[in-house]
This record gives sequence, C-alpha cells and structure tokens, in this order.
Amino acid sequence: MTTTLNRRNFIAGASVATMVATLGARAQAATPDDPLIVTLVIPSPVADVGWGHALFEALETVKADYGDAMQLSVIENIFEGPDADRIMNKAVADGTKFLVAGSFGYQNGAMQIARRNPDVTVLHASGFMVAPNFSPFAAQYSQGTYLMGMAAAALSETGKLGSVSAFAIPELITSINAFTLGAQQINPDIEVSIVWLNSWFDPAKAQEATEALVAQGCDVLFSNAQDTPSVVAKAEELGVYSFNLNSSMKAYAPNTYLGCVLTDWSPFFRESIEAHLAGTFEGANAFLGVSDGVVKVVDWSPDIPEDVMARIMEVEAAIADGSFAPFTGPIIKADGSEGVADGVTMTDEEVIGMDWHVQGVTTPLPS
Amino acid sequence: MIAIEFILAGMLAAATPFLLAALGELVAERSGVLNLGVEGMMALGASVGFITVYSGGGHVMGFVFGALSGMALALVFAFVTLGLHTNQVASGLAIGIMGLGLSAYFGKPFESFTVTGLGKIAIPGLSDFPVIGGLFRQDIVVWLSLIFTPALWYVLKHTKLGLLLRAVGENPHAASAIGYPVILIRLSAVAFGGLMAGIAGAYASTIYTPLWADGMIAGRGWIAVALVVFGTWMVGRVFLGACLFGAVSLGGIAAQTVGLAVPSQLLASMPYIVTIVVLGIISSNRRLVKLNGIASLGEPFEK
Repeated sequence: MTTTLNRRNFIAGASVATMVATLGARAQAATPDDPLIVTLVIPSPVADVGWGHALFEALETVKADYGDAMQLSVIENIFEGPDADRIMNKAVADGTKFLVAGSFGYQNGAMQIARRNPDVTVLHASGFMVAPNFSPFAAQYSQGTYLMGMAAAALSETGKLGSVSAFAIPELITSINAFTLGAQQINPDIEVSIVWLNSWFDPAKAQEATEALVAQGCDVLFSNAQDTPSVVAKAEELGVYSFNLNSSMKAYAPNTYLGCVLTDWSPFFRESIEAHLAGTFEGANAFLGVSDGVVKVVDWSPDIPEDVMARIMEVEAAIADGSFAPFTGPIIKADGSEGVADGVTMTDEEVIGMDWHVQGVTTPLPS
Repeated sequence: MIAIEFILAGMLAAATPFLLAALGELVAERSGVLNLGVEGMMALGASVGFITVYSGGGHVMGFVFGALSGMALALVFAFVTLGLHTNQVASGLAIGIMGLGLSAYFGKPFESFTVTGLGKIAIPGLSDFPVIGGLFRQDIVVWLSLIFTPALWYVLKHTKLGLLLRAVGENPHAASAIGYPVILIRLSAVAFGGLMAGIAGAYASTIYTPLWADGMIAGRGWIAVALVVFGTWMVGRVFLGACLFGAVSLGGIAAQTVGLAVPSQLLASMPYIVTIVVLGIISSNRRLVKLNGIASLGEPFEK
C-alpha cells in the first residue's frame, strides 16, 4: 500500500496510522503481517519530475522487491523547521522504522529522532552529521554536471552559460563549479553567470531568472535544484539549450533539451533497507556518484557534435573507473587565488564543503 | 540586451498579478471590508484557471473559471463576515489558507504540467525603440490591465457608484440611514475583489508562468495586500507601487546576471519594508490618517 500524504490530510489519516503503528512497533522483521514502515518527508510536492520524485521513485522501486512486507508513506510539502520535527516525530511514533528526511533543513530534527530512537534508521539528504543509525546522503552531481559543461560549451555560440540556482550552499556551488570546469575543457574562455533565487520553490521567479540570463546572452542554461520544469520550459520557448538534475524533463523541451543528470537512489536505498533489516546498518557519509550507479547522464541532445560526444564518453568512463575526478588541480578560484594545486585531487570532504567559485564564474557569491 | 532593458521589458508583466489582485482588494477595502485571503483566492484562481486551459478550455475560459473560483471563495468570506459578523482578519486568514489547500487539492493531478502561454502584442513603431522598446511588447492581459486601471480610477472618483462605495466605507451608518443597502454593496465589493484575485492567479498560472505547481503564487497575494496600503487606497499609487515592486523583483535577478553583488534576500523583503514605512508615516499624522485611511475598515456593520 502506498499512501501519499500532505500536511493537510496527515492529521486526518493519523487514526489509521496509529492502528498500523501497533503492528509495526513490535519487531524489526518485515513480513506482510508486520511490514517495515518507510516514511519519506520532502519539502516540495511529489510531481512527475524533480528531486522529490527521484526519491519517491527509488523507494517505490525498492518496495516492489518487498511487496506487502514494506509500507511506504510519503509526507510532502513540509517546511523545514519545527513543523517538520513534529511531523517526523509523529511518523516515528506511528511506527516508522526507516525514515528518509529529504531535505538539508530537516537535519537537526532528524538527528534528534535518531538519537532518541536507536531502532529507527534515518537517511538524511545533503547533510554532514553522522550517527550509528543516521547517514547523510548526497549525490556527486559534479560528476554529471562536468560532462554537461563539456556539451554546453560545444553548443554555446556566445561563450556564455547560465545557471538558475536555488540557494548558494556547497552542494549547488559544487555542481556549478564542475559545470564550469567541464565547459573550460572545450572552450577555455567560457563564462558562467548564476541567478540565486533564494528559494527552493518559486517557478515564476525561476522563469524571470531564465529570461534575465538569456537577455545577458547566455545560450545554455543549467536548471540547478529546481523541482519544476519552469527553467527548462522557458528555455525551450526562448530557443536556448537547458539541462537539469534528478529526473528527465525532456517532455518539456523536446527541441532544446541538452540532457539530464539523473539520480537513481534505488541501489543506495535497497542496500540501506537490507542492512537495517539485518541489523547491520552503520551510519556513514554516503557521497554517491557514477560508479555507485546513483548518478547517470541520460537523454543527451542529438545536437552535440560527435567528436565532443566521444570525448564526453571517455571522461564518463574515466570517472566511473576512478581514474579521473572533476576536481583535480590546477584549479584557480574566481578571485584569482589558487584553489587546488597542480595534480592534487580534492577529497570528498573538501568537495562537500566547497564554498568558493572557480575562475570562469562571473557572478560573485552572495555574502 | 542590457539589464535595464530586461527590467523595462518584463516589469509590467511581473507587476500584473500584483496589480490585478491589489485593485480588487482596493475596491473591497474601499467599501470597508478587509479581506486578507487574497493569497488563497489567487492560488485557487491559478489552479482552476490552469486546469481549464490544460483540459483544452482555452485561455479565455481559463480566466472565466479562475475568476469565478476566486469569487466563490470571496463569497464564502462575505457570508461569514457580512452575514455572520465574524472578525474579518481571522476569517480572511482562514479563507486564504483554505484557498491554498483547495488549490493544492484540485491541482494535485496536474502538478508540474505546462501549457502554452500567449504571444505578445507589440505597438508598431514604439516597440522598435532601443532600450524602452520592450515596454511596448506585452501580452494582451497586460494591455487590458493598462486600460482597466484608469477606468477603475474613473469609476471610483467620478461616478455615483464610486461615491457610493466610498461612502459605505467611510460611514456605513450614514449611508444606511439615507437608504443605501450597505451589506449588498459590501458583498459586491468583496465579490469583485475575489474576481480580480482569481484573474490575477489565472494570469500567473496560464500566461506569466504557464505551468501549475503547488505553492506557485509564493506570497504574491500578500504583496498585493501590502500594495493597497502602500498605495494608500489610491488606484494610481497602487499602479505605481505594482510597477515598482515588479521592477525591484526583476532588478534583483538582473543585478546577479551582470555580476553585481546585491543581497537578494533584502530585495525580496523590500515590498514589506516599504509597506511598514508607509503605514508608519500615515499613522504618525492624524491628518494623513483622515485623508488616506478608510474609517470603517475591518469593522462589522450592524443596523
């Protein structure tokens, strides 16, 4: 049974949940009579596309293996803050044993839940805290956006690329930096402009930003962490290429879709749920990329020249077998100082905490 | 294209959702009724309008149904405040939250779908000017809003209907004593406000950002409410305020694309800061309160 809940009918469904809870609270085993309750909490609505959709779809895929032995409930549209803490606590009180906290801002609340309930396993998106039953997870989008940068630079006529981005946090900065570095492989003089929306969710503002970037001459756009097709659809209307993260939006831009840096979380979720049921789960920082099967680039535009495509494939293979990493020196920061020395590769920790732009990004970081 | 050109070209379209909703709210407040549910009425209009257009009803019907849904919600508000004399602030907030909930409910199956917007109509000659040319390339709704705004000003200022509306807002007991149906006039004003909010929402979801996503109104209804105060209940000032807020919101984006470091969080809060300042200025001076305020705003009327 899959139940889709939102804040409004969450309370209404509580009575049913309480009934289920009495079943779920007894043991860790997962059988149709005593299912493992998995709860996903996300800040945006689950749509056909986007971040929430990617998490939901991955959990659905895992659920298919378990059938009735796993019960999935989705609580969508939950603001990051005290309300989220309350809702996650309620879900755990109602029998959730496996919680997926789908946004950075849930970190403190989710960590408290993990500490108070040692029998509950918590996976938290994009965070940095770790506990025995608490793993933060993040995708190495940079491995995919680097490839996209190569394609973007090959198709750009103006030499200017743009990105509509949500918040200036390391995860998003890293994606843009890798995008820029990839583009520089094809055209060393490429420039990247960014609009920070300071909102995870404002489609109208995202479209205004798209128009603004195109007005400045950007002709390939990176829709960074936008859960709606706002940027991709507007780019199609304006006749410029665009790509996005998490799930394919090709349907919204049949002519000018550059591709999608897809995240498929199902291998990670499957492994974690198996470990949880076996009692062997150990919290660790899960920073997953191409080689883990989590990050994939799909729906490449047919307009990309063949020689560039061949180079992209080469780089992708090198990333997958570990012989190449996008953040390998020499890398110069936007302010002209040295970011990474020649021949040195940034560690995962350094990549996760990246708070500076590489040279080529023209928009200063918001202070 | 330089940044200023981008702002000029997009300013009016960005201002239109604010403007339409604010003009509707202005009429309701002029009659003495404070309806804080604009955000919800816009959201409902946006979702119903989008569904209509997506289902093949066409843009005109999208606006009709969007407007009707906004009006329906306003009538619920009118029933509880005018009929049952409930507190207008609390009822308005409740209606607003209800509208958001209903919009999410109706829109759920259409989440993240897109429709095609409408093309722009350019004024020949003027639209070829450098820099300001973009001002003269707008969609039909923007042009209609530009005609509607002075028309509303004229009606409020120079017709018997406008005088009546203002009289009901200033002194409902006097208006009632000389035989005017205060409740009926207020009901019509509130319904008009809902109608306009519904149109504003439908514009946002079918033309300005032709897609549906839950929460896409993103506070624009509150900016509309703030605009009415900012404009001290005057049509012209509300219009200028809408253009200003539209320009500021685009300006923040444009500044980033050219590499200027502006705190965009601060820019986003500008409309509200300005509104508080205006409120402060008005209420610090008794004469200004008398000149600009609406005497019976928010007070229930009983014979």
